[in-house]
Amino acid sequence: MEKAIQTTAEAAPERRGCGPEGRTLLAALRHDRELLEQTGHYHGISDLRLKAENYLHYESLHARLRSAVVNARETSKKISASPGVREVGESVVALYTPEGDSVVLSTGIMVHVHTLSRFIQWMIERDYESDPGIAHGDVFANNDPFVSDVHPPDLMNVTPIFHGRELIGWVGAVAHELEIGGVYGGANQTTTAERFGQGMIVSAEKVAANDVIRRDFFVRAEMNLRTPVYFVLDEKAMVSACIDVREKVLEAVEQYGLDYYKRAIREIIEEGRRAHLQRMKMLTVPGRYRSVAHAGHLFEGKVGASPLSRNCIVQVPLEMTIDRGGFMTIDYEGAGRKMWNPYNCPPAAMDGGFFVTLTQFIDFDGKVNDGCWFATRMICPPGSWCNPGDDMTATSSAWGSLMPGFGSLQRMISRSFLARGFREEVFLGQVNTPIIEGGGINQYGQRFGGQNLECSSEGSGARGIMDGIDCGYVGWNPESDMGNVEIWEMILPILYLGRRIWRDSPGAGKYRAGATYSTLLMIHKTPLYNIVSTIHSDKVFDNQGMCGGYPGPTAKFEYVSRDTDLAERIARREPLPHVEGDPRRPDISTRVGGDFRVVDGVFLERPLRSGDLFQFFYNTGGGYGDPIERDPEAVRRDLDNGIQSIEIAESVYRVAARFDAAAKRHAVDEQATRKLRAECREERGRRAVPTRQWMARQRERLLRHDLGREVKEMYNDVFGFSERWSREYREFWSLPDDFVFTV
Amino acid sequence: MASYPKDVIRDLIDGKLPWQTTKPIMSDFKDERRFEIYLEILQERVPWKERILLPVGEHLYIVEKGAARIVKCDCGHEFGPYTENWKLEALVYVRDDERSLDEIYPGARKCDPGWMELREYYCPGCKAQLEVEAVTPGYPVVFDFVPDLEGFYRDWLKKPL
Ligand SMILES: [Zn+2]
Repeated sequence: MEKAIQTTAEAAPERRGCGPEGRTLLAALRHDRELLEQTGHYHGISDLRLKAENYLHYESLHARLRSAVVNARETSKKISASPGVREVGESVVALYTPEGDSVVLSTGIMVHVHTLSRFIQWMIERDYESDPGIAHGDVFANNDPFVSDVHPPDLMNVTPIFHGRELIGWVGAVAHELEIGGVYGGANQTTTAERFGQGMIVSAEKVAANDVIRRDFFVRAEMNLRTPVYFVLDEKAMVSACIDVREKVLEAVEQYGLDYYKRAIREIIEEGRRAHLQRMKMLTVPGRYRSVAHAGHLFEGKVGASPLSRNCIVQVPLEMTIDRGGFMTIDYEGAGRKMWNPYNCPPAAMDGGFFVTLTQFIDFDGKVNDGCWFATRMICPPGSWCNPGDDMTATSSAWGSLMPGFGSLQRMISRSFLARGFREEVFLGQVNTPIIEGGGINQYGQRFGGQNLECSSEGSGARGIMDGIDCGYVGWNPESDMGNVEIWEMILPILYLGRRIWRDSPGAGKYRAGATYSTLLMIHKTPLYNIVSTIHSDKVFDNQGMCGGYPGPTAKFEYVSRDTDLAERIARREPLPHVEGDPRRPDISTRVGGDFRVVDGVFLERPLRSGDLFQFFYNTGGGYGDPIERDPEAVRRDLDNGIQSIEIAESVYRVAARFDAAAKRHAVDEQATRKLRAECREERGRRAVPTRQWMARQRERLLRHDLGREVKEMYNDVFGFSERWSREYREFWSLPDDFVFTV
Repeated sequence: MASYPKDVIRDLIDGKLPWQTTKPIMSDFKDERRFEIYLEILQERVPWKERILLPVGEHLYIVEKGAARIVKCDCGHEFGPYTENWKLEALVYVRDDERSLDEIYPGARKCDPGWMELREYYCPGCKAQLEVEAVTPGYPVVFDFVPDLEGFYRDWLKKPL
């Protein structure tokens, strides 16, 4: 798409600019990338001179910069009014070079450390230096995914750091908004099939001068958002964080000297790059790794869904290669075309997913910054959902594709840790994070929109030496906090009847995934609450186990009960539902009278009102190892803690257990367990067939085109799109070269 | 650089080390001799003599067998060259209907067997469940890992293969 803003300003690159050595920022960026290309070192830095000369002096500057960004984030959280930022910590602050490469970053949503880089570079490449101009005290805001963002709720701000007339860096901050003014209230809009309808989009705009945010920017927010207070105060929080860091950096420059500072920030990045490669050689094994994940989406016939969105399965194949230099390449070849639904990912989202994975698996301490970025490469096929090349596509639910994809990356890196003997680092962490959002009339009688961001803390996948983390992890924000129930009850018209461990949720394995939880909400003091769910996978599990573990149960469903007799039951002081109970006869269907339904997939239904019940289930990941090798004592403990049921203990773990009512705890019959497990192995031998024999039958099935519509459409889409993947597919099954499915 | 006695590493990989000891190992710089000690521990455990070159799963190893490098289960079952996908020589059981999925995922929490199936790969020898694939029906068997053994030994470990 050709637009005026897209043309890179070629105007007189030799003109004097505000960048290093009097270059324009664009010339500086190009010069910097040439140095990397020519020397293989970031900014052409072949020796870590400052580090070698005076290690402590160098480290003290790094520590000072890092504490500046961490401190600024913590302080800014107190300015925000949004539980998304205050409670859950959905923000990040980072410091950049003049060329937009990150030097140090705070904790929080580290996804955005690299989306901010891309945002700064987007402005540099479009010569913002000339127009609208870049000056001390300016702030630039963006939440446009195709400038650089994951999706519109992530509002980013950057401010330049000037030393005299020279721009010596940038500070950036991002916060995730709970309401962004989409078709319905919330932020990650499920029902939109294009850019439009995702909400209010700010495309790389100058929103402040002289450290003062423009009034008209706030007017715009107030006129376009249902609950603008979050946006307004988040904006102030971020701008204050940027100014705070800028001032601390200028103090550091005074103390260390300008030349020292300019050299040091680049050495810090080069050190990050080298440390990454060293770690790759220390922790992993070179070779080719493959994995696949799928995400499913139901739209057809759902209330309010876009007529453009079809039911579909997103194929997320991933190949990782580690070469002999420790250089990692990840390749999404085999991803299908861009979609008419909000599950596309702009390039910045892919960057963000990759970066946040690296910071947790390889680059988790020392010099965590864009250094690792220059020691890796990611290939996203142009025109695919992971690189649409079309800024009209919707990306509001991008995480629903990102998380399966980067969960695969975690799994592949984990396999290399396992091979290398670092089993304690094996972690099948990342899983999708379904969100409850929506809007309507709140308990204060006002129109509102918002998300319940408690999804920021779910069960993780299993680890290689122990179970996953119970209700305590998401991949995109390693701080992982669900926020207090009372906070969500304060901002949404709900009362929690339960937020408890979801029994039998963990992906099973020798080490199980972390347990996740379900939330049972009583809709409260509202005549109209349009709840919508987003960022999840319908009908398919979007994660995998490893070494014999099962995936977590992530095929989405919800329970809803309308016109309940809850008020009468409460008046009669009768027991209420709090947990799922028996999954085949859930408590919400037995402990309360009403119109009960199980909703398959995304929740797009008629609005709810006071007295209705809504039960939502969060995700967890895959297990590790053969479940029948799980320590029976661990199974017993899970039974006592309500994490597992006796039924699953027997059918999956093959542990014979019973509840000892007198002792009020479970007991395992060891002899019966040994027998069950021996029988399980015999049973496996009886029911399984040699893989090649099964493949021959499968081949015939494919030749009969005997697959479901959505599955065949998924394959056909990729056949028409990725030659390499299609060739391998047809070769694997020995199908004709021009094979496609008849739908 | 950290370094740990063999007993500690044995307990660590077996998940038997207390968390108070495990956590510092996770947080600290990694021990350079880990791979060497890891192989020693695993080699002592397997009931066969072939030299382990690289573990590739909970039960699977790439081993040196004469001039060949094959995938072998700790029970002794041999799958064939490591450059071929061992899953093709395994046993497979596919959960592709409501009933079989219900054993693992009761109630509404299961995948739709029309959209996704679970493939359980077992060792033909000991019937250990070696991998589970959750994929759309018709998806090729995934070849999880082909290591660059030569590069790993020669360039990274600086040892003969
Ligand atoms: Zn075996």
